[in-house]
Amino acid sequence: MALLELTNVSKHFGGLQVINDLSMSVEPGEIVSLIGPNGAGKTTLLNLITGLYRPDSGDIALDGQSLVGKTPHEITCLGIARTFQSLRLFLNMSVIDNVMSAAFPRSQANLPQIVLRTPGFRREEARIRQMAEEKLAFFGERLVGYRFDQPAYSLSYANRRRLEIARAMMTQPKLLLLDEPAAGMNPNESLEITELIGKLRDEAGYTILFIEHDMSVVGGISDRVIALDHGEKIAEGTFDQVATDEHVIEAYLGRKNHSL
Amino acid sequence: MSQSKIGTDEWVRQYQKRRGKPAGMAGVVQRVWLLLPTWAWLALLVAAGLLFPLTTDNTYIIRVGGTIALMATLGLGLNVVVGYAGLLDLGYVAFYGIGGYAYAYLSSEFTTVHWPTWLSLIVITVLAALFGLLLGSPSLRLIGDYLAIVTLGFGQIFVQLTTSLTRVNLPGIEKPLNLTGGPNGIVNLDPVHLFGFSAQSVKDYYYVLFIVLIVVLVVVYHLNYSRIGRAWRALREDELAAETMGMPTRRLKLMAFAIGAAIAGLSGALFAAWQGAVFPSNFDITLLITLYAIIVLGGLGSLPGVLIASVIMIAVPELLRDVRFAGLLFYAGAVLTLYATLKPRWQILPLLALLALFGLIVTFLVMAATPGASALLSPPGSPVGIWIPLPANSSDAGNLAFFASIVMVLFVTRVKKHRWRFIALIPTLYLLAFAWETRMSQEPSITRLMFVGVLLVVLMIYRPNGLLGQRRVEVV
Repeated sequence: MALLELTNVSKHFGGLQVINDLSMSVEPGEIVSLIGPNGAGKTTLLNLITGLYRPDSGDIALDGQSLVGKTPHEITCLGIARTFQSLRLFLNMSVIDNVMSAAFPRSQANLPQIVLRTPGFRREEARIRQMAEEKLAFFGERLVGYRFDQPAYSLSYANRRRLEIARAMMTQPKLLLLDEPAAGMNPNESLEITELIGKLRDEAGYTILFIEHDMSVVGGISDRVIALDHGEKIAEGTFDQVATDEHVIEAYLGRKNHSL
Repeated sequence: MSQSKIGTDEWVRQYQKRRGKPAGMAGVVQRVWLLLPTWAWLALLVAAGLLFPLTTDNTYIIRVGGTIALMATLGLGLNVVVGYAGLLDLGYVAFYGIGGYAYAYLSSEFTTVHWPTWLSLIVITVLAALFGLLLGSPSLRLIGDYLAIVTLGFGQIFVQLTTSLTRVNLPGIEKPLNLTGGPNGIVNLDPVHLFGFSAQSVKDYYYVLFIVLIVVLVVVYHLNYSRIGRAWRALREDELAAETMGMPTRRLKLMAFAIGAAIAGLSGALFAAWQGAVFPSNFDITLLITLYAIIVLGGLGSLPGVLIASVIMIAVPELLRDVRFAGLLFYAGAVLTLYATLKPRWQILPLLALLALFGLIVTFLVMAATPGASALLSPPGSPVGIWIPLPANSSDAGNLAFFASIVMVLFVTRVKKHRWRFIALIPTLYLLAFAWETRMSQEPSITRLMFVGVLLVVLMIYRPNGLLGQRRVEVV
């Protein structure tokens, strides 16, 4: 069974049809990338999956369970985490607090336990802290050590992107949605992101659906590529198949011969 | 390029070598804070608070101490709502009032109900939390300024209702009911009576309020360093991201609202018992402004900040009731301001010398011009001594000097040329001192509030994030 299954999903804003009768699926353990020109509806699709928008029609299901009508935090509890294209970190919190805060759906301590500092609460807190340090160590030595207690706004752009991924990992998702993880990165950093996405699947075991404009990243790691344009799926397959697809080239570059 | 490049960063590796120490006041504060672990600071605070009433028999001083403890408790509650969760709640004082009136209903002849104190305190705390939920659930759909307006309305409704619900006609009852006592309030409330201990004196109430402050402090501290505290701060930073990271933002906001309200309700009940009465005017907007001044001055989200700021906001106006102290502060403040703003700093010495010379010349001229002028000289012991001649009817001259000094201060701040500013400073300072001696020192009730205002302005200019607040950025 597919991990994520979209069937005939449509979404419009006013008169604008952003997603039009879209069906797609992501299998467990797969790395799928979404490509398409600006305005194709890629981010809207992520917003639909994470519950920020509600689809007009169609169904979105995780492990066979429908997500339509659920609030974003309920969907996160079910096992979907995401990053944002325009970073949305908790800028004035420390690096470790950013990551630890995302353990909320996976922790239980209630008010009396917190106020009384019961042993159960202390154990859970220690576990969250250790887990957060592990997630940050995933990115080498960049976000560890003294960096734990620095405010998130002091990080560089690339490190902020990494921190956002670490924060998403902390919710212990089955499916990780990355919205342009390599945006604003230099070629070296893009290469690193490519390897990181592979590592996220191979070592951490996430299924990954990501949006990316950088074709070296898309081509470097995707098992499958889905191309969108005007809210419709115009091509699907391996990177090579999609990259040479007539519709995709047309969507990006325009038609070869204009018949005037 | 085939080698994995994940996580290699020379700059980070060398960080410890290049790391600098934080400079200035912030660095000093940080180093002092790190000298002792947090629990040791708390122990010091508890010891100081418990020993404080033993140092004096002056009831007035202990009363000020009790007020500080009460305001700090209220500040801690407001800090949960505004500092952590980032909800601009302007109806906070209403929960304080609900606590006060609830205590009045449960322990006075007004309703002829006399519950034991421990029971009413628990019931009132829960009741205030429920009111917090009740107000929160409709208004938390709003964000930012809109939430502020709605909650402000709630605070005003509370004051209006307590003032006017004196003749309520209910069906089935002949006489109109007096529900709140109106502007005259409810009086003769039972004192606090807990575990065989009955609070009679100001000192007793001080201890009760201080212990409650410590309990609330520990509770709020524990909340801050927990999943709930982190979630509150996260939703303050970015509500949408918090929701997407699995935090139920609506429930968390309601929780912050309810906890703040519960703390306010408990404080209100204790306040009512201490005062032995409640009046609508106890819960008006002046208190709200003082509380916001406390949490903003202390630094939003900082617990030691709330404690320090409530000491400043309550103790300084009290100290300023003493004219001699106010005078000392006035002159010390003037000298410190000069020292801080004059560049290079040594210039303050010739400035003060020239100012003294200027004063002597003025005194000499006045004495030469008027017969019998020795009567004009300030009384012995005055800090201005022979430098400022005081006319017999000083009121008009003082008023004139006051306005002239304002004009001069504006002039001095506008002048660009350094030399002219230096010269203009001399008569300006002289006028200020004259205005202080003749007029401002005669009106301590007005000048002390002016002082508090100036103090707030200066502190917020030099520490825009509050005394112990962390620097905050919006977007980078």
